[in-house]
Amino acid sequence: MSEPAANELPGTAERSLPGPIHHKGPGPAEAGWLEPRRRGHGGRALALHRVTGVVILFYLYLHLGVLSMLLIGRSAWSSFLSLVTAKGFLAFEAVLIAAVAYHGLNGIRVALVGSGIAVRRERVMLWTALALAIAVGVFAALHILGAL
Amino acid sequence: MTNESDIRRLRVYRYKRGDGGEHFDEFDVPVGPHSTVLDALRWVQLHRDRSLALRHSCCHASCGTCGVQVDGHEELACVSSVQDHGKEITVEPLANLPVLTDLVVEMSGFFARFPHEHPIIRESQPAPDVEHGDAMQAHHAEVLLHHNHRAAPPGADFMRLEDCIECGLCLSACPVASTSQEYVGPAALAAAERLLEEPRGVKREDVLAWASRPEGVWRCHVGFECTEACPTDAIPAERIMALRRELTFGGDKDKESKR
Amino acid sequence: MLRRHDARVLIVGGGATGAGLAHDLALRGLRVTLVERGELTSGTTGRHHGLLHSGARYAVGDREAGIECIRESTILKRIAPGSFECNDGLFVAACEEDLEYLDPLLEGCTGAGIPVEQLTPRDALRLEPNLNPELMAAVRVPDATVDPMRLVLRFCASARHNGADIRPYMEVTELLGQGGLVSGAAVRDRVTGQTGKIHADLVVNASGPWSGQVAAMAGTSVPMTPSPGVLLALKGRFCNMVINRMHKSGDGDIVVPQRGLSIVGTSSWVIEDPDDLTVPEDHVERMYTEGSKLIPALRHAARRAAWSAARPLVGSAGAGSGRELSRTFQTFDHRDRDGVDGFVTITGGKSTTLRGMAELCADVVCRKLGIDEPCRTADTVLLPHTAFYSAAAA
Repeated sequence: MSEPAANELPGTAERSLPGPIHHKGPGPAEAGWLEPRRRGHGGRALALHRVTGVVILFYLYLHLGVLSMLLIGRSAWSSFLSLVTAKGFLAFEAVLIAAVAYHGLNGIRVALVGSGIAVRRERVMLWTALALAIAVGVFAALHILGAL
Repeated sequence: MTNESDIRRLRVYRYKRGDGGEHFDEFDVPVGPHSTVLDALRWVQLHRDRSLALRHSCCHASCGTCGVQVDGHEELACVSSVQDHGKEITVEPLANLPVLTDLVVEMSGFFARFPHEHPIIRESQPAPDVEHGDAMQAHHAEVLLHHNHRAAPPGADFMRLEDCIECGLCLSACPVASTSQEYVGPAALAAAERLLEEPRGVKREDVLAWASRPEGVWRCHVGFECTEACPTDAIPAERIMALRRELTFGGDKDKESKR
Repeated sequence: MLRRHDARVLIVGGGATGAGLAHDLALRGLRVTLVERGELTSGTTGRHHGLLHSGARYAVGDREAGIECIRESTILKRIAPGSFECNDGLFVAACEEDLEYLDPLLEGCTGAGIPVEQLTPRDALRLEPNLNPELMAAVRVPDATVDPMRLVLRFCASARHNGADIRPYMEVTELLGQGGLVSGAAVRDRVTGQTGKIHADLVVNASGPWSGQVAAMAGTSVPMTPSPGVLLALKGRFCNMVINRMHKSGDGDIVVPQRGLSIVGTSSWVIEDPDDLTVPEDHVERMYTEGSKLIPALRHAARRAAWSAARPLVGSAGAGSGRELSRTFQTFDHRDRDGVDGFVTITGGKSTTLRGMAELCADVVCRKLGIDEPCRTADTVLLPHTAFYSAAAA
């Protein structure tokens, strides 16, 4: 309104200011998706999908970095072997295998449901993906332990 | 109606424009077996702090104005029973929309996300049609069969209000909406899908073009938080998937004739 | 921007009454400010079951109200297209005794100009399979269902678009003035906590069951009695048409569909303070009992919500249950009643007649301000409710 009112109502200017926007979860605004306590099964599945995606990406860079060590020579190969046979690294690999399994299977679920296919069964597909990922992870862990 | 011995501590988010401070106030509120969070908030407003700003209107989950987060979960305060919560109850405004004051969010941004055409009356009472073979329709039919008790014989010519009550709970619950202010959100997309289901004069291509923008249907990451939070039968997640199916596989005339 | 006059009107109350009046006056070119302490329609208006009366309910006992309803509901359907479930309503005789009401109902409706058609019980059951299968008679009338908040928001959207300043979350704390002349109001803004003063050439009290409290701020009174009733929302859409009991107004005599819910109403008692609304459980039980005489499945339906809403009934206190008071509306010019000028109260009425109420009150307002403008609301199609949020604020 361009015309000045004979009495400007209190709070008029403040009503048109931008107000604070709350995002669910602690921390910076962009982390809203990460808060698991305030989400249902689908939101947690999404958060896990993003986390496993980051883990896989991290592993990819790690893998490339490690492979590039081979370019340096025989001594690099030895230090590479001692790294990848360390217990911590092997444990990480079991987790990684579970992560790849979850990310892949949930990815199929998201691709199907997100194209409107089998929408009613999305929850069943999620539990299946989780169960299979855990099974694969446990199997991998046992196999790795067995090989030690 | 309130039981003097059942007292709950309400932690209520407070914010007044101009003084800028966001904080929580605590109130001890007497409640009864049927008290709702809205009843408790109105008690605070009437007996403790008249400056508390609240949104409410119908008191029966039909107007969609009283959406808040109760202990971090999206609910309509008017049907959120105090008995379903603990001794301490935290009430905050909805997420992903600017807070106007206290528990009131500004809804102009919510409505701005909707497609331009936004009819609120369905021309037809949806008749369950399980032979259609379409998963979304079957799911929808299931929902309707359960809730409508076959109130209309198939093909009857009754009108009804759209299920969506524009409460904003879906937008608040959506994990994508918390990282993107541009994403149109579940309610707007569900409204668009309703326009495909029942055009009411709107062109199909326009709806699909609107939905397939970068901030439209493809931003959804299949979280299903929206349908989870929705207090009516608007089923936004299922409708978003139906929209995506149309955009992925549909659009040909053969599909039209099968409907 | 339609403003043609400098006269400033302050409307206290953002329910159906205030919104209807804001729209009417804005169309006539006055400068309108409307203040409401909560969300629009958060008083009584938002709480009602959403029935758009055909008038049949009043045709027998209160013909004037019946005629008002059929006229106003027809106008509303024309000026607010796309807001109503025009599914008609049924009056259903659940027992022998109800049949005595059948002929008076048919005659009353015909006399009031309300389209009415008698159906066989079998036809009624075909339309509404969940009805009491023992029903003995059925009559079809043009009732409709509406979302009460969104309808009122359409009036506010149009008013805002025409230059009215619609201000929710602003509470009137005092009325200003001296020497028998009200000149405005002191307000507290709930958005900022700030206080201020609004000056106006005329203040209209449209605060529904709170009109007594607001009138008292100017040392005046209104013959209005707050009369609450209980409503019960059950999960499940058990009917598409409005189902009325074929007998004179009583508790639990109506079932209105609201999206996926069925609303059973209502009861009636009188109170002093409309902020002190209780929900007596025996009234809720009565809704279940009476409602299931119309639709047996309601007996076992899950409860979504039970609440009370206070009707502002015109008539003095001392009435019994509130049902004896007329539901028509009146405008009170406090200069004539109490010797206080610049202050008018409009009270009574029901949602269905909001436009007609506003027209009469706006006529009084314009007459007092010496403005000669006809009412245009009967022929002006309202903006959609979403326009309220995008229309330029005054």
